[in-house]
Amino acid sequence: MSVETAPREQPPAAPPPVPRRSGMSASQIRFFSLLRREVSRFMKIKRQTVGAPLLETFLYISVFGAALGSRIKTIEGIDYVTFVVPGLIMMALSVNAFSNNASSILQQKFQRAIDDQLSSPASPLELLLAFTFGGFLRGLLVALLTFLASAALIGIPIEHPLVLLPGLFLVGFFFAQLGVLVGVRAEQFDDVSFAQQFVLQPLIFLGGVFYSASLLTEPFETLTQFNPVHYMISLVRYGFLDFADASVVGSFAFLVVACAALFALNLRLFTTGYRLRA
Amino acid sequence: MPEALHISGLVKRYPTGVEALKGVSLDIPQGEFFGLLGPNGAGKSTLIHCTTGLASPTSGQIEIFGHNAVNHYGEARALVGLAPQEPNLDHFLTLEETLDFHGGYFGMPKKDRRERSKELLDAFSLTDKRQERTRTLSGGMKRRLILARALMHRPELLILDEPTAGVDVELRLELWQYVKRINEEGTTILLTTHYLEEAEQLCGRMAFINGGEIVAEGTGPALAKQFGVSSLEDAYLELVGRKELSRAKIDEAIA
Repeated sequence: MSVETAPREQPPAAPPPVPRRSGMSASQIRFFSLLRREVSRFMKIKRQTVGAPLLETFLYISVFGAALGSRIKTIEGIDYVTFVVPGLIMMALSVNAFSNNASSILQQKFQRAIDDQLSSPASPLELLLAFTFGGFLRGLLVALLTFLASAALIGIPIEHPLVLLPGLFLVGFFFAQLGVLVGVRAEQFDDVSFAQQFVLQPLIFLGGVFYSASLLTEPFETLTQFNPVHYMISLVRYGFLDFADASVVGSFAFLVVACAALFALNLRLFTTGYRLRA
Repeated sequence: MPEALHISGLVKRYPTGVEALKGVSLDIPQGEFFGLLGPNGAGKSTLIHCTTGLASPTSGQIEIFGHNAVNHYGEARALVGLAPQEPNLDHFLTLEETLDFHGGYFGMPKKDRRERSKELLDAFSLTDKRQERTRTLSGGMKRRLILARALMHRPELLILDEPTAGVDVELRLELWQYVKRINEEGTTILLTTHYLEEAEQLCGRMAFINGGEIVAEGTGPALAKQFGVSSLEDAYLELVGRKELSRAKIDEAIA
């Protein structure tokens, strides 16, 4: 066998020269390779990562929309099924963005496969962004499919696309970051399930996916104001239906600050190598 | 001309307080096949992890071809290929993807990645398996793939952490041939191994590490001389305080 190694005539002190025929810089190639790896992971198990969440969303639509909706009829003058769908889209986006990243990072830590990325020249920022957008894209895919199917079945309007698109981006980014944080901190799969089942899921359900917070009695209406997911659902619902039960500007401001804080925290973890490097 | 690997005063203290490396200094010139020998827990893997960015040094300096491995990690890591002790392959990926993504992490353009992975899959007799997921590979094939992955980005310094641990005789010999050839072609190699025969066969110089310190360094005969014994094995037994296990002493006792 003969394996070509680095050409000897090059000065060994210099990093291997990389031709730029593809038009991308080495940093861009690194980032897209890291991202492709994340996307290829969830696409290889798409029955679990895309199919199952879609089915779950449709079960919610069936139960809360068709069955319960026949009794509730409208909320704030909006048909109940239509009212619920934006919340379900937001839930699909957030849960998938979160669980993808938490599971992917923990799984790679278990297998130590993540060492391949960690020992490469990739910077902490490149690693963090690639992991983040891996889950973000999965969440976006499930959310988009949910939207397309819902639009075909019951006709969901988009009243404020300029609010909806950045709103969805921020929600997806926030939960993708949260997934990264939990994945990095987690030492066993139980840690990820705990965060998802005991923290995330209750916050989402109690944040107003299936109802408007204004319908709640005290102290629950006030308590809902302390649930960060409430503002996200409200923002997404406003983008779709022109109905919000929290200030749109306030929700945006909260999301931007929360995303920035989480991003800064995660970047610090990747830079210091917390629970990633020994 | 900078050393392939220059380590000075390297200390690694874990949060538990355990000091795995206690001021290690080591120089490996370009083109050398260098062996790092020592018992379990001596600090071999920690040294490798500090060099490749998998562990953060507490203090000290690591330079790879003159590039600081901490402050200029991008340039430094681009020159290093690591074949770890435990197969750490991603079970979701095929063999081709494993090499392709690795090349991507090192900034190799697509065409270069395609050509290089084909060349390596051929060289390591893995072409037939290229579309299969890594979890379907036998232990020996995983070892070969890990070596191929380490070579994917054409490193100047190849680090082999126990590359033949637990492999059968024929694969061991096959891997020896591979790495000898790579070294002859100019790549500097740092090998850690428990097999002294392996170190004697492959390495020009070697160092004994024990308790987080380099305690001796030199060629096999020089190390034996340093310990006042006749073989590398006896020198090693002296190092770990088990000279009663020396074959000469056992033969003597039997006689």
